[in-house]
Amino acid sequence: MLVVRAITANDLDALYVMATQVGSGMTTLKPDMKMMGDRLAIAVASFAETIPPEKRDYMFVMEDTSNGRIAGVCAIKGAVGLTEPFYNYRIGTLVHSSRELDVFTRMDTLYLSNDLTGSTELCSLFLAPDYRTGNNGKLLSKSRFLFIAQFPHLFTEKLIAEMRGYQEESGRSPFYEGLGRHFFKMDFDHVDDLTAVGKKSFIAELMPRQPLYVDYLPEDAQKVIGKVHTSTAPARRLLEQEGLYFEGYVDIFDAGPVLQARVSELRAMRESTLAEIGLTTDWDSACAPESAPAEPMLVSNTTLKDFRMILSQSVPVNGAIALPEAEQQLLHCHTGDTVRTLSLNLRKNPHV
Amino acid sequence: MYVVRPVELADIAALEALAAVTMPGVHTLPKTREKIADMIERSIASFAAHVDIPSEESYLLVLESPQDKTIVGTAAIFAAAGSNGTYFSFRNDVIQQVSRDLNISHSVHALTLCSELTGYSQLSSFYVGEQEHGTPEAALLSRARLMFAVLAPHRFADRFFVPLAGVTDADGGSPFWDALGRKFFKMDFLDAERVIGGARNRTLIVELMPHYPVYVPLLPGDAQAAMGQIHPSGELAFNLLTAEGFEADDYIDIFDGGPILQAHKNSLRTFNGALQRRVTTAAESPDRGREPQLRYAVASGSEHNFRAVITHCAALESQVNVALPADVQEALQIAEGDTVICVRI
Repeated sequence: MLVVRAITANDLDALYVMATQVGSGMTTLKPDMKMMGDRLAIAVASFAETIPPEKRDYMFVMEDTSNGRIAGVCAIKGAVGLTEPFYNYRIGTLVHSSRELDVFTRMDTLYLSNDLTGSTELCSLFLAPDYRTGNNGKLLSKSRFLFIAQFPHLFTEKLIAEMRGYQEESGRSPFYEGLGRHFFKMDFDHVDDLTAVGKKSFIAELMPRQPLYVDYLPEDAQKVIGKVHTSTAPARRLLEQEGLYFEGYVDIFDAGPVLQARVSELRAMRESTLAEIGLTTDWDSACAPESAPAEPMLVSNTTLKDFRMILSQSVPVNGAIALPEAEQQLLHCHTGDTVRTLSLNLRKNPHV
Repeated sequence: MYVVRPVELADIAALEALAAVTMPGVHTLPKTREKIADMIERSIASFAAHVDIPSEESYLLVLESPQDKTIVGTAAIFAAAGSNGTYFSFRNDVIQQVSRDLNISHSVHALTLCSELTGYSQLSSFYVGEQEHGTPEAALLSRARLMFAVLAPHRFADRFFVPLAGVTDADGGSPFWDALGRKFFKMDFLDAERVIGGARNRTLIVELMPHYPVYVPLLPGDAQAAMGQIHPSGELAFNLLTAEGFEADDYIDIFDGGPILQAHKNSLRTFNGALQRRVTTAAESPDRGREPQLRYAVASGSEHNFRAVITHCAALESQVNVALPADVQEALQIAEGDTVICVRI
């Protein structure tokens, strides 16, 4: 059985092994023992609430309890850009018009911005290739929304997720080749590594400070602005289902889209409910709204320190949920405890 | 003897004929009779005006050939380039990219729309017929404008510039325009030049042209290659002007990327080397064996009756007078005892 849980200090080695499988383009998950150790320490302190909310970095791992393996990882950063600048391009519009010539030109422009400073960030999602089946990816990605819905006071108003940008099969990023290379004079992977190790000052030093007209970029670079890496497309869809949307911010290196949402607008905030573990009577079921029998539910406990979440077939009815004993154990819960639940998929008919 | 003189109303027909010869896209002379007449009238008024501060004056000089007094060349100078507006150009900025952390240091060029040349005096409309191409007379015509500025410095700014036509292909297309201006104007190069009348001081430029720097490395290769390159027809002017002391590379034209040469007057040879001398009459047949004869451009010293010719005489540096033959005096409409300015050519 799979459980998504708060990371612990013992997970470092497994996390490192996972990071070696990631490849380029994911700046927040690099196989570097020192970096990971530091990050893990912050994550552990975050769940223990020994550091202020904006410095926290909640990391979750997906554990396969049948063999003890770590199958995936994901994280929520309390706030970005507060210790070192967080850069994005904002896609803007400039209109050049001359009534005299009857010319009206609408130009897309890229503005270097720190607009998203202070936002809460969903990041570092990675699922081991042999676990990419069924609902595993959804479970891992959406676990974070249940966490946010349970502890909304820990997060800032705005939530963002940077999506890996488009790359050709060879790993070439058309956007980077068309823009960044002229200013950085180094390979994409190298730039990527530097941002990962936190040497971000070079962005300010080397990136053009003035807005750029998109029309000046080579066509292949223009085309991929706001486009995700092929392997990231499913992840994007999942986030969009949960209420995130593209608002015109892209990564400065590969032009991958930044999805964003207000925490209060998340589906999890509206639709997740608390339920007490216990028996549901037939009478309760009879009065409850009908729900499809095979609709899986995300179920989590409500403790920050030891947050755990599973996928269950049990459905909460009138504030109660009949969780099997094994599932209660996975959640470190007992009968009478409260759990938070959210349907894994969007309800087809939300008003029924 | 070739004479450079201010344009006159009687020259309309001759200029019209010249304008028909010059090439499309190379903005030298206006194309219609009406506009040519305007230009001539403005020039006559400018020469006649009493000027305190240089503003809208534009002076047009012509090169008159000795045979049948036809006009074989034109050259103009505007007192202030932006008259009635702002003269726009691209400044060629170099941005130093330095990161000490990464041990990186390189430079990136960027083109910035600027109006710095607005207050400069502008040389323009230089054209000479094919027969006179590369002759000292062509140099005389180009330089006569600056000699006039030496004579009447209050009529001009301290800095001068000259836009030269950029490269175009056989169809009149401009690779620089295609990469840059076309994206904003949405029309062909020649169409744009036509609607704007070759002007660089129109409001619509600031309406349409990019407000932010254009990073050169982002432009296609052929557009980058065209930056600062001259149209073959401008080669003569380019050589004459660089020999004069003008410098390229700082500014380029916003439409075709052609070079804009510029200089402070103190670095121009005409300003440095102009000698003011009193006229004496030269012997009918000078003894050519005694002293080496040097070539000089001589201009009459009056700003209200400006004329310039080429003559040969002994080095003038250590003399008070210049001996000019009677025909030269006649061409300049001066007499013994008048002052002239002389510059080695």
